[in-house]
Amino acid sequence: MPKYQIPIVDTDIHERVQYKDILEYLDEPYKHYITNCHWIQEKHMPYTQPSVAGVDRADAKIPDGRPAGSDLKFMQKQLLDDIGHEVGILTSALDPSPSSMHGWHEMAVALASAYNDWQIENWLEKDERLYGSVHIAAQDRDAAIKEIDRIGPHPKMVQVLLPIDDIMWGDPFYHPIFEAAEKHNLMIGMHHNEPPVYYGKWPRYFIEWHTLIPTAHMKQITSMMFNGVFDKFPNLGLMMIEGGFTFIPHLMWKMDQQYRDLRHEVPWLKRKPSQIMKEQVRFTTQPAEELTKKEFMSLLEQMGTDEMLCFSTDYPHWDYDSPYRALPNLDTELKQKIFAENARAFYPKLPNKKEG
Amino acid sequence: MKEQVVCKTSDIQPGEMKETSFGRQEVLVCRTPDGNFYAFMNQCIHQGAPLDKGMICGATTDKSKPGSYDYCHEGEVIRCPWHGREFSIKNEGRMLANPSKKIPSFKVRVENENVIVYK
Repeated sequence: MPKYQIPIVDTDIHERVQYKDILEYLDEPYKHYITNCHWIQEKHMPYTQPSVAGVDRADAKIPDGRPAGSDLKFMQKQLLDDIGHEVGILTSALDPSPSSMHGWHEMAVALASAYNDWQIENWLEKDERLYGSVHIAAQDRDAAIKEIDRIGPHPKMVQVLLPIDDIMWGDPFYHPIFEAAEKHNLMIGMHHNEPPVYYGKWPRYFIEWHTLIPTAHMKQITSMMFNGVFDKFPNLGLMMIEGGFTFIPHLMWKMDQQYRDLRHEVPWLKRKPSQIMKEQVRFTTQPAEELTKKEFMSLLEQMGTDEMLCFSTDYPHWDYDSPYRALPNLDTELKQKIFAENARAFYPKLPNKKEG
Repeated sequence: MKEQVVCKTSDIQPGEMKETSFGRQEVLVCRTPDGNFYAFMNQCIHQGAPLDKGMICGATTDKSKPGSYDYCHEGEVIRCPWHGREFSIKNEGRMLANPSKKIPSFKVRVENENVIVYK
Protein backbone atom coordinates (compact mmCIF):
# COMPACT_ATOMS: atom_id res chain seq x y z
CA MET A 1 0.00 0.00 0.00
CA PRO A 2 1.66 3.24 -1.08
CA LYS A 3 2.21 5.77 1.66
CA TYR A 4 1.67 8.95 -0.30
CA GLN A 5 -1.90 10.04 -0.85
CA ILE A 6 -1.58 12.43 -3.78
CA PRO A 7 -0.13 11.60 -7.20
CA ILE A 8 3.61 12.04 -7.55
CA VAL A 9 5.46 12.78 -10.75
CA ASP A 10 9.09 12.53 -9.69
CA THR A 11 11.19 14.54 -12.13
CA ASP A 12 14.65 13.28 -11.17
CA ILE A 13 15.44 9.62 -10.61
CA HIS A 14 18.94 8.36 -11.29
CA GLU A 15 19.14 4.91 -12.78
CA ARG A 16 22.68 3.60 -13.11
CA VAL A 17 24.26 1.39 -15.72
CA GLN A 18 27.27 -0.78 -15.04
CA TYR A 19 29.58 -0.85 -18.03
CA LYS A 20 29.32 -4.62 -18.33
CA ASP A 21 25.56 -4.29 -18.81
CA ILE A 22 25.88 -1.84 -21.68
CA LEU A 23 28.27 -3.99 -23.72
CA GLU A 24 25.56 -5.88 -25.57
CA TYR A 25 24.22 -2.59 -26.90
CA LEU A 26 27.60 -1.44 -28.21
CA ASP A 27 29.20 -2.30 -31.54
CA GLU A 28 32.88 -2.95 -32.05
CA PRO A 29 35.38 -1.47 -31.63
CA TYR A 30 33.72 0.37 -28.74
CA LYS A 31 32.91 -2.82 -26.87
CA HIS A 32 36.58 -3.77 -27.16
CA TYR A 33 37.69 -0.47 -25.66
CA ILE A 34 35.61 -1.08 -22.54
CA THR A 35 36.24 -4.82 -22.22
CA ASN A 36 39.92 -4.98 -23.08
CA CYS A 37 41.19 -1.44 -22.70
CA HIS A 38 39.25 -0.55 -19.53
CA TRP A 39 37.66 2.65 -20.73
CA ILE A 40 36.10 4.66 -17.94
CA GLN A 41 34.58 8.07 -18.02
CA GLU A 42 36.94 10.97 -17.45
CA LYS A 43 36.48 12.56 -14.02
CA HIS A 44 37.65 15.93 -12.84
CA MET A 45 36.04 16.59 -9.47
CA PRO A 46 38.80 16.66 -6.84
CA TYR A 47 36.63 15.69 -3.88
CA THR A 48 35.32 12.47 -2.49
CA GLN A 49 31.74 13.10 -1.57
CA PRO A 50 31.70 13.73 2.16
CA SER A 51 28.74 11.51 2.93
CA VAL A 52 28.27 8.00 4.20
CA ALA A 53 28.17 6.18 0.85
CA GLY A 54 29.73 8.44 -1.74
CA VAL A 55 27.06 10.11 -3.85
CA ASP A 56 24.39 7.60 -2.86
CA ARG A 57 21.96 7.02 -0.06
CA ALA A 58 23.65 4.38 2.09
CA ASP A 59 20.44 2.38 2.27
CA ALA A 60 20.03 2.36 -1.52
CA LYS A 61 22.97 0.06 -2.26
CA ILE A 62 21.65 -3.16 -3.76
CA PRO A 63 21.89 -5.97 -1.17
CA ASP A 64 24.05 -8.07 -3.52
CA GLY A 65 26.65 -5.30 -3.59
CA ARG A 66 25.77 -3.58 -6.86
CA PRO A 67 25.66 0.22 -6.76
CA ALA A 68 22.54 2.20 -5.90
CA GLY A 69 20.16 2.76 -8.80
CA SER A 70 21.33 -0.25 -10.80
CA ASP A 71 18.41 -2.60 -10.12
CA LEU A 72 14.81 -1.95 -11.12
CA LYS A 73 13.27 -4.35 -8.61
CA PHE A 74 15.10 -2.73 -5.71
CA MET A 75 14.11 0.73 -6.95
CA GLN A 76 10.50 -0.39 -7.19
CA LYS A 77 10.54 -1.69 -3.64
CA GLN A 78 12.40 1.21 -2.04
CA LEU A 79 10.93 4.10 -4.01
CA LEU A 80 8.21 3.58 -6.59
CA ASP A 81 6.00 1.12 -4.69
CA ASP A 82 6.81 2.36 -1.21
CA ILE A 83 5.92 5.97 -1.91
CA GLY A 84 3.40 5.25 -4.64
CA HIS A 85 4.82 7.13 -7.60
CA GLU A 86 2.51 7.66 -10.53
CA VAL A 87 5.37 8.70 -12.81
CA GLY A 88 9.14 8.76 -12.48
CA ILE A 89 11.45 10.41 -14.98
CA LEU A 90 14.86 8.81 -15.37
CA THR A 91 17.84 11.13 -15.66
CA SER A 92 20.74 8.63 -15.43
CA ALA A 93 23.81 8.69 -13.22
CA LEU A 94 25.66 10.72 -15.89
CA ASP A 95 28.18 7.90 -16.16
CA PRO A 96 28.55 7.62 -19.05
CA SER A 97 27.70 11.20 -19.92
CA PRO A 98 28.43 11.33 -23.65
CA SER A 99 28.02 15.09 -24.03
CA SER A 100 30.58 15.64 -21.26
CA MET A 101 33.42 13.94 -23.11
CA HIS A 102 36.21 16.29 -24.13
CA GLY A 103 37.40 14.12 -26.99
CA TRP A 104 36.77 10.91 -28.88
CA HIS A 105 33.35 11.90 -30.16
CA GLU A 106 32.91 8.57 -31.96
CA MET A 107 32.95 6.79 -28.60
CA ALA A 108 30.57 9.38 -27.16
CA VAL A 109 28.10 8.85 -30.02
CA ALA A 110 28.26 5.06 -29.58
CA LEU A 111 27.76 5.32 -25.80
CA ALA A 112 24.73 7.56 -26.19
CA SER A 113 22.99 5.11 -28.51
CA ALA A 114 23.88 2.12 -26.36
CA TYR A 115 22.66 3.88 -23.24
CA ASN A 116 19.35 4.77 -24.85
CA ASP A 117 18.75 1.20 -25.98
CA TRP A 118 19.71 -0.16 -22.54
CA GLN A 119 17.44 2.35 -20.81
CA ILE A 120 14.46 1.51 -22.99
CA GLU A 121 14.81 -2.26 -22.74
CA ASN A 122 15.65 -2.51 -19.04
CA TRP A 123 13.66 0.30 -17.50
CA LEU A 124 11.07 2.04 -19.69
CA GLU A 125 9.61 -1.17 -21.08
CA LYS A 126 9.66 -2.92 -17.71
CA ASP A 127 7.78 -0.43 -15.55
CA GLU A 128 4.90 1.60 -16.89
CA ARG A 129 5.57 4.40 -14.40
CA LEU A 130 9.04 5.16 -15.73
CA TYR A 131 9.78 7.69 -18.50
CA GLY A 132 13.15 8.41 -20.00
CA SER A 133 15.69 10.93 -21.21
CA VAL A 134 17.35 10.75 -24.62
CA HIS A 135 21.13 10.74 -24.29
CA ILE A 136 23.14 12.34 -27.06
CA ALA A 137 26.71 13.30 -27.80
CA ALA A 138 26.01 16.93 -28.52
CA GLN A 139 29.57 17.73 -29.61
CA ASP A 140 28.85 15.75 -32.77
CA ARG A 141 25.76 17.73 -33.57
CA ASP A 142 24.68 15.84 -36.65
CA ALA A 143 25.01 12.48 -34.92
CA ALA A 144 23.06 13.90 -31.97
CA ILE A 145 20.22 14.90 -34.28
CA LYS A 146 20.20 11.43 -35.82
CA GLU A 147 19.95 9.91 -32.36
CA ILE A 148 17.07 12.21 -31.43
CA ASP A 149 15.33 11.20 -34.66
CA ARG A 150 15.99 7.51 -33.91
CA ILE A 151 14.99 7.44 -30.22
CA GLY A 152 12.83 10.54 -29.86
CA PRO A 153 9.66 8.91 -31.21
CA HIS A 154 9.72 6.29 -28.44
CA PRO A 155 6.49 6.91 -26.52
CA LYS A 156 8.24 6.96 -23.15
CA MET A 157 11.06 9.35 -23.98
CA VAL A 158 10.07 12.79 -22.71
CA GLN A 159 13.22 14.91 -22.94
CA VAL A 160 16.72 15.25 -24.33
CA LEU A 161 19.27 15.32 -21.54
CA LEU A 162 22.17 17.76 -21.60
CA PRO A 163 24.79 17.84 -18.87
CA ILE A 164 25.94 21.10 -17.33
CA ASP A 165 29.72 21.10 -17.51
CA ASP A 166 31.72 23.62 -19.50
CA ILE A 167 29.57 24.05 -22.62
CA MET A 168 27.11 26.93 -22.83
CA TRP A 169 24.16 25.32 -24.56
CA GLY A 170 22.56 28.50 -25.91
CA ASP A 171 25.27 28.73 -28.60
CA PRO A 172 23.63 28.73 -32.04
CA PHE A 173 25.77 25.72 -32.99
CA TYR A 174 23.45 23.60 -30.85
CA HIS A 175 20.16 25.08 -32.08
CA PRO A 176 19.56 22.27 -34.59
CA ILE A 177 19.51 19.90 -31.58
CA PHE A 178 16.73 21.98 -30.06
CA GLU A 179 14.91 21.96 -33.38
CA ALA A 180 15.08 18.16 -33.45
CA ALA A 181 13.85 17.92 -29.86
CA GLU A 182 10.92 20.24 -30.54
CA LYS A 183 10.01 18.22 -33.64
CA HIS A 184 9.56 15.13 -31.48
CA ASN A 185 7.70 16.86 -28.63
CA LEU A 186 10.72 16.40 -26.39
CA MET A 187 11.71 18.94 -23.78
CA ILE A 188 15.32 19.70 -22.82
CA GLY A 189 16.40 18.46 -19.39
CA MET A 190 19.61 19.91 -18.01
CA HIS A 191 21.40 18.34 -15.08
CA HIS A 192 24.79 19.35 -13.79
CA ASN A 193 27.58 16.87 -14.17
CA GLU A 194 30.85 18.47 -13.07
CA PRO A 195 30.50 22.20 -13.65
CA PRO A 196 33.62 24.05 -12.53
CA VAL A 197 31.86 26.87 -10.72
CA TYR A 198 34.82 29.09 -9.73
CA TYR A 199 35.73 30.99 -12.88
CA GLY A 200 36.36 27.76 -14.73
CA LYS A 201 38.03 26.08 -11.77
CA TRP A 202 37.06 24.01 -8.77
CA PRO A 203 36.73 25.55 -5.31
CA ARG A 204 38.81 24.24 -2.45
CA TYR A 205 35.91 22.49 -0.70
CA PHE A 206 33.02 20.34 -1.79
CA ILE A 207 30.66 22.47 0.29
CA GLU A 208 31.62 25.50 -1.81
CA TRP A 209 31.05 23.61 -5.04
CA HIS A 210 27.74 22.16 -3.92
CA THR A 211 26.51 25.52 -2.64
CA LEU A 212 27.28 27.17 -5.97
CA ILE A 213 25.79 24.64 -8.37
CA PRO A 214 22.79 26.96 -8.82
CA THR A 215 25.16 29.47 -10.43
CA ALA A 216 25.95 26.92 -13.15
CA HIS A 217 22.22 26.50 -13.74
CA MET A 218 21.72 30.27 -13.87
CA LYS A 219 24.43 30.53 -16.50
CA GLN A 220 22.70 27.99 -18.72
CA ILE A 221 19.29 29.64 -18.44
CA THR A 222 20.89 33.00 -19.26
CA SER A 223 22.71 31.48 -22.23
CA MET A 224 19.57 29.83 -23.60
CA MET A 225 17.56 33.01 -22.98
CA PHE A 226 19.73 35.62 -24.67
CA ASN A 227 20.78 33.37 -27.52
CA GLY A 228 17.11 33.32 -28.38
CA VAL A 229 16.45 29.59 -28.02
CA PHE A 230 13.02 30.05 -26.46
CA ASP A 231 11.73 32.46 -29.09
CA LYS A 232 13.20 30.41 -31.92
CA PHE A 233 11.58 27.23 -30.57
CA PRO A 234 8.37 28.34 -28.88
CA ASN A 235 7.20 24.81 -28.15
CA LEU A 236 10.45 23.85 -26.46
CA GLY A 237 10.69 23.78 -22.69
CA LEU A 238 13.70 23.59 -20.42
CA MET A 239 13.69 21.59 -17.18
CA MET A 240 16.52 22.59 -14.86
CA ILE A 241 17.21 19.54 -12.76
CA GLU A 242 18.72 19.60 -9.28
CA GLY A 243 19.95 23.16 -9.27
CA GLY A 244 17.60 24.61 -6.69
CA PHE A 245 14.85 27.15 -7.11
CA THR A 246 15.28 29.96 -4.62
CA PHE A 247 17.31 31.97 -7.16
CA ILE A 248 14.42 32.15 -9.63
CA PRO A 249 13.04 35.58 -8.60
CA HIS A 250 16.53 37.09 -8.64
CA LEU A 251 17.25 35.78 -12.12
CA MET A 252 13.87 36.97 -13.46
CA TRP A 253 14.33 40.45 -12.02
CA LYS A 254 17.94 40.70 -13.14
CA MET A 255 17.26 39.55 -16.71
CA ASP A 256 14.22 41.85 -17.04
CA GLN A 257 16.21 44.83 -15.80
CA GLN A 258 19.08 44.04 -18.14
CA TYR A 259 16.66 43.55 -21.02
CA ARG A 260 15.17 47.00 -20.52
CA ASP A 261 18.65 48.52 -20.90
CA LEU A 262 20.19 46.18 -23.46
CA ARG A 263 17.34 44.87 -25.58
CA HIS A 264 19.05 46.25 -28.68
CA GLU A 265 21.78 43.65 -28.35
CA VAL A 266 19.33 40.74 -28.39
CA PRO A 267 16.44 42.04 -30.50
CA TRP A 268 15.29 38.50 -31.22
CA LEU A 269 13.75 38.35 -27.76
CA LYS A 270 10.09 39.17 -28.25
CA ARG A 271 9.02 38.73 -24.64
CA LYS A 272 10.38 39.79 -21.30
CA PRO A 273 12.83 37.20 -19.97
CA SER A 274 10.67 36.64 -16.88
CA GLN A 275 7.70 35.93 -19.12
CA ILE A 276 9.75 33.45 -21.16
CA MET A 277 10.83 31.75 -17.95
CA LYS A 278 7.26 31.47 -16.75
CA GLU A 279 6.19 29.95 -20.04
CA GLN A 280 9.12 27.72 -20.97
CA VAL A 281 11.43 27.01 -18.02
CA ARG A 282 10.72 24.69 -15.10
CA PHE A 283 12.74 23.67 -12.05
CA THR A 284 12.92 20.49 -10.02
CA THR A 285 12.61 21.04 -6.29
CA GLN A 286 15.44 18.91 -4.90
CA PRO A 287 17.70 19.79 -3.15
CA ALA A 288 15.12 21.95 -1.40
CA GLU A 289 16.45 24.47 1.05
CA GLU A 290 14.69 24.25 4.38
CA LEU A 291 12.05 26.95 4.06
CA THR A 292 9.11 27.66 6.31
CA LYS A 293 5.70 27.72 4.67
CA LYS A 294 5.72 31.50 4.92
CA GLU A 295 9.11 31.73 3.21
CA PHE A 296 8.05 29.25 0.53
CA MET A 297 4.81 31.09 -0.23
CA SER A 298 6.66 34.39 -0.34
CA LEU A 299 9.07 32.92 -2.89
CA LEU A 300 6.19 31.76 -5.10
CA GLU A 301 4.70 35.24 -4.87
CA GLN A 302 8.01 36.70 -6.02
CA MET A 303 8.08 34.29 -8.97
CA GLY A 304 4.57 35.39 -9.90
CA THR A 305 3.47 31.85 -10.63
CA ASP A 306 3.09 28.55 -8.83
CA GLU A 307 3.58 26.55 -12.02
CA MET A 308 7.36 26.52 -12.32
CA LEU A 309 8.30 24.05 -9.59
CA CYS A 310 8.18 20.29 -10.12
CA PHE A 311 8.84 17.88 -7.30
CA SER A 312 11.84 15.56 -7.45
CA THR A 313 13.50 13.14 -5.07
CA ASP A 314 16.92 12.67 -6.73
CA TYR A 315 16.74 9.02 -5.69
CA PRO A 316 19.08 7.27 -4.94
CA HIS A 317 21.52 10.06 -4.23
CA TRP A 318 22.75 11.14 -0.83
CA ASP A 319 20.83 14.41 -0.84
CA TYR A 320 17.53 12.68 -1.63
CA ASP A 321 14.41 14.68 -0.80
CA SER A 322 11.58 12.85 0.92
CA PRO A 323 8.11 13.78 -0.39
CA TYR A 324 6.89 13.87 3.20
CA ARG A 325 9.55 16.11 4.66
CA ALA A 326 11.42 18.18 2.10
CA LEU A 327 8.84 20.90 1.46
CA PRO A 328 6.65 22.72 3.97
CA ASN A 329 3.12 21.43 4.40
CA LEU A 330 1.30 23.11 1.53
CA ASP A 331 -2.38 23.46 0.75
CA THR A 332 -3.75 20.53 -1.24
CA GLU A 333 -4.24 22.33 -4.55
CA LEU A 334 -0.73 23.74 -4.54
CA LYS A 335 0.69 20.41 -3.43
CA GLN A 336 -0.97 18.70 -6.38
CA LYS A 337 0.56 21.21 -8.76
CA ILE A 338 4.08 20.93 -7.41
CA PHE A 339 4.06 17.19 -6.84
CA ALA A 340 2.52 16.23 -10.18
CA GLU A 341 0.48 18.60 -12.32
CA ASN A 342 3.18 21.14 -13.17
CA ALA A 343 5.39 18.41 -14.59
CA ARG A 344 2.48 16.80 -16.37
CA ALA A 345 1.61 20.13 -17.98
CA PHE A 346 5.24 20.66 -18.98
CA TYR A 347 6.04 17.33 -20.66
CA PRO A 348 3.75 16.84 -23.68
CA LYS A 349 4.39 13.11 -23.73
CA LEU A 350 3.37 12.34 -20.16
CA PRO A 351 -0.07 10.77 -19.87
CA ASN A 352 -2.98 12.53 -18.23
CA LYS A 353 -3.68 12.07 -14.55
CA LYS A 354 -4.98 8.65 -13.61
CA GLU A 355 -8.60 8.64 -12.55
CA GLY A 356 -9.86 7.03 -9.36
CA MET B 1 5.44 -0.55 27.43
CA LYS B 2 7.77 0.74 30.10
CA GLU B 3 10.83 -1.42 29.56
CA GLN B 4 12.01 -4.16 27.29
CA VAL B 5 15.05 -6.33 26.68
CA VAL B 6 16.08 -5.36 23.15
CA CYS B 7 19.23 -7.43 22.69
CA LYS B 8 22.21 -9.05 24.42
CA THR B 9 25.31 -7.01 25.15
CA SER B 10 27.26 -9.38 22.90
CA ASP B 11 24.99 -8.48 19.95
CA ILE B 12 26.63 -5.07 19.63
CA GLN B 13 30.39 -4.66 19.75
CA PRO B 14 31.92 -1.37 20.97
CA GLY B 15 31.80 1.14 18.11
CA GLU B 16 28.79 -0.52 16.48
CA MET B 17 25.05 0.10 16.37
CA LYS B 18 21.96 -1.98 15.73
CA GLU B 19 18.29 -1.50 14.96
CA THR B 20 15.94 -2.97 17.57
CA SER B 21 12.30 -2.68 18.54
CA PHE B 22 10.88 -1.15 21.69
CA GLY B 23 7.19 -1.91 21.55
CA ARG B 24 6.10 -0.52 18.20
CA GLN B 25 8.99 1.90 17.96
CA GLU B 26 12.13 1.31 15.96
CA VAL B 27 15.06 2.04 18.21
CA LEU B 28 18.72 2.43 17.38
CA VAL B 29 20.99 1.04 20.07
CA CYS B 30 24.56 2.34 19.91
CA ARG B 31 27.56 1.08 21.82
CA THR B 32 30.42 3.53 22.16
CA PRO B 33 34.06 2.32 22.32
CA ASP B 34 34.04 2.58 26.15
CA GLY B 35 31.39 -0.14 26.17
CA ASN B 36 28.42 2.02 27.16
CA PHE B 37 25.02 1.68 25.51
CA TYR B 38 22.74 4.44 24.22
CA ALA B 39 19.35 4.28 22.51
CA PHE B 40 17.69 6.69 20.09
CA MET B 41 14.71 6.80 17.80
CA ASN B 42 15.89 5.12 14.59
CA GLN B 43 14.80 7.99 12.37
CA CYS B 44 16.68 11.09 11.35
CA ILE B 45 14.98 14.26 12.57
CA HIS B 46 15.79 15.94 9.24
CA GLN B 47 13.93 13.87 6.62
CA GLY B 48 13.21 10.59 8.37
CA ALA B 49 16.03 8.35 7.10
CA PRO B 50 16.64 5.05 8.93
CA LEU B 51 19.73 5.86 10.99
CA ASP B 52 20.86 2.25 11.36
CA LYS B 53 21.70 2.32 7.63
CA GLY B 54 24.17 5.12 8.24
CA MET B 55 27.41 4.79 10.13
CA ILE B 56 28.90 5.18 13.56
CA CYS B 57 32.17 7.07 13.30
CA GLY B 58 34.15 10.03 14.55
CA ALA B 59 33.97 13.62 13.42
CA THR B 60 36.02 16.68 12.72
CA THR B 61 35.74 19.06 15.67
CA ASP B 62 35.43 22.78 16.26
CA LYS B 63 39.07 22.77 17.36
CA SER B 64 39.96 22.49 13.66
CA LYS B 65 41.56 25.54 12.07
CA PRO B 66 41.32 26.53 8.42
CA GLY B 67 43.50 24.10 6.52
CA SER B 68 44.01 21.71 9.46
CA TYR B 69 41.55 19.08 10.65
CA ASP B 70 41.07 17.91 14.23
CA TYR B 71 39.25 14.56 14.13
CA CYS B 72 38.18 12.62 17.19
CA HIS B 73 35.22 11.10 19.07
CA GLU B 74 35.69 7.89 17.05
CA GLY B 75 32.67 5.65 17.60
CA GLU B 76 30.69 8.41 19.28
CA VAL B 77 28.97 9.98 16.28
CA ILE B 78 26.03 8.74 14.19
CA ARG B 79 25.99 9.83 10.55
CA CYS B 80 22.69 9.75 8.69
CA PRO B 81 22.65 7.45 5.64
CA TRP B 82 21.10 10.12 3.43
CA HIS B 83 22.42 13.64 3.98
CA GLY B 84 25.24 12.65 6.29
CA ARG B 85 24.11 14.82 9.22
CA GLU B 86 26.05 14.06 12.37
CA PHE B 87 24.65 13.41 15.84
CA SER B 88 26.63 13.06 19.05
CA ILE B 89 25.82 9.83 20.85
CA LYS B 90 27.30 11.00 24.15
CA ASN B 91 25.68 14.42 24.01
CA GLU B 92 22.02 13.38 24.02
CA GLY B 93 21.90 12.77 20.26
CA ARG B 94 22.45 16.45 19.47
CA MET B 95 23.23 17.47 15.90
CA LEU B 96 26.82 18.65 15.63
CA ALA B 97 25.93 21.46 13.23
CA ASN B 98 22.93 22.59 15.29
CA PRO B 99 23.02 21.34 18.90
CA SER B 100 19.57 22.74 19.64
CA LYS B 101 18.19 19.79 17.61
CA LYS B 102 18.50 16.23 18.86
CA ILE B 103 17.29 12.75 18.09
CA PRO B 104 14.75 11.63 20.69
CA SER B 105 16.46 9.21 23.05
CA PHE B 106 15.51 6.37 25.38
CA LYS B 107 17.03 5.29 28.65
CA VAL B 108 19.18 2.15 28.64
CA ARG B 109 20.54 -0.12 31.34
CA VAL B 110 22.33 -3.46 31.28
CA GLU B 111 21.32 -6.35 33.52
CA ASN B 112 22.74 -9.87 33.26
CA GLU B 113 24.04 -9.30 29.73
CA ASN B 114 20.64 -7.98 28.65
CA VAL B 115 20.34 -4.53 27.13
CA ILE B 116 17.13 -3.00 28.47
CA VAL B 117 15.51 0.06 26.95
CA TYR B 118 13.04 1.96 29.10
CA LYS B 119 11.33 5.31 29.30
